[in-house]
Amino acid sequence: MSVAVEGELGFARTRSAHWAPALATLFALLLVAATAEIVIDGSLGHSALIPKSPVIAGWLQGIGERLGYRVFLIAILVFSAAYAGLLALLRSSAGAVISKRWAIVLVGALHVIVFAGPILLSTDVFSYIAYARMGVEHGINPYLHGPIAIVNDPVFQYVGSDWRHVATAYGPLYTLISYPLAPLGLVGAIWGMKLEALLASAGTLALTWRCARERELNPITALLVVGANPLYVIYGLGGAHNDLIMLLLMMAAVSLTFAGRDASAAAAVVAGALVKATVGVLLPFMVLARRSLAPVLGAVAALALGLLVGYAVFGIHGIDIIAALNRDAAFVSTDSFANEIAHLFGKPGVFPVDHDLLKAALVLIVLHLLWRTWRGYDWVAASGWTLLAISVTSTWLLAWYILWPLPLAVVVRDRRLLAATLFVQALFIIHQTAPLFAPVQ
Amino acid sequence: MTEAATGAERTPGGRLPGWLRPRDHELTGSGRTRLVETTLLVLAGLLLAIATINDVVRQTHVNQRLIADERTWRAYTGHDYHNLSIDQQLLGESSRREVICGNTSPGAPMERTQLCLEIWGPTVDGRREVHGGWYLRAKIEDDVRADRYGCFGPAPQGMCPG
Repeated sequence: MSVAVEGELGFARTRSAHWAPALATLFALLLVAATAEIVIDGSLGHSALIPKSPVIAGWLQGIGERLGYRVFLIAILVFSAAYAGLLALLRSSAGAVISKRWAIVLVGALHVIVFAGPILLSTDVFSYIAYARMGVEHGINPYLHGPIAIVNDPVFQYVGSDWRHVATAYGPLYTLISYPLAPLGLVGAIWGMKLEALLASAGTLALTWRCARERELNPITALLVVGANPLYVIYGLGGAHNDLIMLLLMMAAVSLTFAGRDASAAAAVVAGALVKATVGVLLPFMVLARRSLAPVLGAVAALALGLLVGYAVFGIHGIDIIAALNRDAAFVSTDSFANEIAHLFGKPGVFPVDHDLLKAALVLIVLHLLWRTWRGYDWVAASGWTLLAISVTSTWLLAWYILWPLPLAVVVRDRRLLAATLFVQALFIIHQTAPLFAPVQ
Repeated sequence: MTEAATGAERTPGGRLPGWLRPRDHELTGSGRTRLVETTLLVLAGLLLAIATINDVVRQTHVNQRLIADERTWRAYTGHDYHNLSIDQQLLGESSRREVICGNTSPGAPMERTQLCLEIWGPTVDGRREVHGGWYLRAKIEDDVRADRYGCFGPAPQGMCPG
């Protein structure tokens, strides 16, 4: 390299370093402003984007206007652009200006804003509460009946119409975690669910930080990639989804493996699967990579305990997770890639044969990843690829499903996983934008 | 280039035979595998991107059609109501024929007797042609044959009971 070129590069670096703090501040302000816009406007309710809910964020009313598709989509696009800018800054040498304290304050601010606001974009939290109230207040097994069984309960009117006849698909551990919130009343239970999601997110981020440091990766980048992610903040945290509890247990498992505590790690995976079964896919990769008896014993012990408790409290239906998975796998959402590809080939939607083809593709991907893990490929990355493949091949795709591989993607050295996860998330957001071009009133 | 776990993790399995022991590094030959994987990933990404863009364009066209349907309902009934429900499946999802329902007097959605119109055809001056319709009693969420009455126009033959 010539002296002149070195000099130019050095000048460019100095210039970018000079602008980096201002850019970082600008991106942070945009993230906070976009989040605040959605939360404040959402607090007014009466929007297709905000589920019908008891008023829980009344103090924010009167500041904004009713949240419409146009404002929401512009806010989410601004959030995504600022997030992309922040990641670009972190990748460049100028990213060094972002300190640990700055990153934690930004992620904390986003969390506090969302926590203070209404439930965003999903009625799922009302299903969680309905299942809890069925068990605690009405003595009805939520694994046998849908919320329709408590039609006179105050929560019933808020449960999504598609889910009123559907028994819970969540694991017995999650149902038990939600039970203490049932006696708090509807508003108390909503705040309890929001607090659970907030704490689970904080724990996930702390463990992601620790795992990144263990792997000698930049923990600040890991924190911001996950904690300032638009789908994570607005959809995951905003909807108080129990996926955050699953992610907490998933990252606990990864962290425990890094500490050499394989039995506890496998037990954490099983606990995660008893919240939401999907995370169970980590187990074969962990066992294959560690090749010791400890994770097998840990998993068997945790599974035996979980199934025993689940059976004692909920009966045989409480531990029949496979039946619930098969039922949900048959659903089709408009945002699923399977549906989009069907439209691309001129079909009106997904047919039963497509379900079989997608399952076959997923099996092939998992077998390939197991083979690579056997040959020494990072089991954490293989697990992340599997979670991404599950969300992409699922006919029932929701925003928070594409979050599953994200914390794993920032603690592995195969950067393709992070690139692929963010690419899929970007496509999901792009798919939401049709109302911007032709807004239906 | 290895993508195996770093040495930060303690590796068990010291008593296992060599071929069974956990690996610090991925076996040789993974470079070509990585190339094939990356190629497949790029192709899959391309397919997903094309499918997504195609769906956004398709959905935009659908929305434009639904906007015309809403305008048609308002012009036909003379009510400037905005809480209208549109059913794209009743007459076939890919048929571009819709049934659009709304209250016949002011009130919350579905709180009043509803007037449903069957609409299809090209959009002319922001509206499409009404081919018939029927009434639904108040507070009926699912538009089923048994709840319809007062069918009118040529299209809804067989859509009403009796």
